[in-house]
Amino acid sequence: MSTSEPSGTPALELRALGKTYGRGAKGKRAVDDVSLSVRHGEVYGFLGPNGAGKSTTIRMALGLIRPTDGEALLFGRPVSDKQALRRVGSLVDGGTFYPFLSGRDNLRVLARTQGHDGTRIEQVLERVDLAADAKRKVKGYSTGMKQRLGVAAALLDDPDLVILDEPANGLDAAGIQDMRNLLRGLAADGKAVFLSSHLLHEVQQICDRVAIVHKGKLLRESSIRDLLDHGQALRVEAEPLDTAETALQGKWPVDRAQDSLRVQAPRADAPAIVRQLVEAGADVFRVGPDDQSLEEIFLTMTRDTDA
Amino acid sequence: MLDAVRAEALKLRRHRATWLMVWIYPIAIALIMIGVLLYGAFSTHDAGPPQSAAEWIQDSAMLWKIPTSGPGRFLIAGFAAVVFAGEYGWNTWKLIIPARTRWQLIAAKWAVALGFLIIALIAADLIMLLGGWLGSLQDGQLPAGVTLAAVAEVHWKAGAHALLPILYTIAFAGLFAILTQSILATMILSIAIVVIEGMLPLIAIFFHGYAPALTAWLVKVLPFYHMANLGAWAKGGAVIPFGPNDIVSMSWTTSFWALTAWIVAAGTATQLRFLRQDLN
Repeated sequence: MSTSEPSGTPALELRALGKTYGRGAKGKRAVDDVSLSVRHGEVYGFLGPNGAGKSTTIRMALGLIRPTDGEALLFGRPVSDKQALRRVGSLVDGGTFYPFLSGRDNLRVLARTQGHDGTRIEQVLERVDLAADAKRKVKGYSTGMKQRLGVAAALLDDPDLVILDEPANGLDAAGIQDMRNLLRGLAADGKAVFLSSHLLHEVQQICDRVAIVHKGKLLRESSIRDLLDHGQALRVEAEPLDTAETALQGKWPVDRAQDSLRVQAPRADAPAIVRQLVEAGADVFRVGPDDQSLEEIFLTMTRDTDA
Repeated sequence: MLDAVRAEALKLRRHRATWLMVWIYPIAIALIMIGVLLYGAFSTHDAGPPQSAAEWIQDSAMLWKIPTSGPGRFLIAGFAAVVFAGEYGWNTWKLIIPARTRWQLIAAKWAVALGFLIIALIAADLIMLLGGWLGSLQDGQLPAGVTLAAVAEVHWKAGAHALLPILYTIAFAGLFAILTQSILATMILSIAIVVIEGMLPLIAIFFHGYAPALTAWLVKVLPFYHMANLGAWAKGGAVIPFGPNDIVSMSWTTSFWALTAWIVAAGTATQLRFLRQDLN
């Protein structure tokens, strides 16, 4: 594959991308002013609840539908550039295939449609562990098998940018682990991987950077590390919780988080917090850093937007 | 473009609809010819009066009447409906080709729908010709005057006459498929067109009583009359009455060009509509 673009050029760049379905009063704004960039050698997560505009954004990035505003660039070139588009492999909407054709024939059709000879068909079938079932008609495939066939389709032309829409849908635990290894392997080979998902635990494990979208708008683009690093906060588990909360409120900002307290304080304040709790007569079970998961952050951000 | 056609052919060549509505022609004709030959081999009945060479040649090209008949056109429309509207049902339109090259997909579908039908009809025609030849040998010999050149000329003309109705049926089925995004709706609309053509004189006579000028204009402009007119010309007459004292009688070439214009218009509308379609 050619990599003739200047070094540092993102594999995928979206500039103020927008899409409105329909016209006039009935028009629905599906994507609004989304800008992001995906670099070579990274796995980039595109997160959002159902209906957030993830699939529409991906389709515009692939040139399957035209944006109403903005532009999508592949390797620094417009998405209409045939050579640039040939360097992209994709799985959209769980990989819908011709149900009456075998897995192998579906890949053949896809290869022909994309204008290449499909010499890598057997190789990619092996890679996604579908070689043994390649003769079977797709209508007999399980959801996970269809998903794997979709990934095989995405890898068919040895792309430099792989765009995957919900690649872990329908996969069992082992399948998800295989997928994780596959995607990390692609990134290690210098390829850019852009994936949308609602499996936040998986995204947290696989991705280097993420973008969070909600109702068509980009809420945040950040590295996983930055997103998970909230500065100085401690999680305190103590009983009675009301007594503990009252004891700490005067000195530190305190929030209730289910059956524990979230205290805005540096790690160095932990002994003082424990002393304060003991003096107030509370039993202390745990004081530690507040490791908020990506899921909690995601839910907080999308909830805040809804409010 | 060639790759798009190859992909389309790979997709459809073994589809059930292709077997039922396209490959059915050579298969059914082969079975019928085998049956006729077997019956002839074991029958003790007299073979009947000998045919003239002209009759024999005309009979051997009978197959080409199928695509111009109502049932034949239902099959063509059904196949075109699957070719064009099937992708909506399989949800595959939007996934396989970028928006900028969508026109190739429509063009490839045209090529495959027409190509498969022509291949199937030519194969069926050759099987019928072979069966007829073997049957004549079984009964004695070919009528005197049956030559390869005469056979080729009649078959070529019969095939050429069938081409426009095939194109017309594909064009409108393709357009209906893109507009309705449904195989069933495409079939219903395509059947409606064939029925309207068959009932055209009755419909025209009915409306002539209310708006004679408008009815005459519509009959001349819409494609229904021209399809019927071409069919009538192929049979030797071309007069269609549609009022108490009114007839429409146009030349073969007028109807040919009118129908060609309708086919081009339907094909262009299909392309334009699909290019602008939001597939979400």
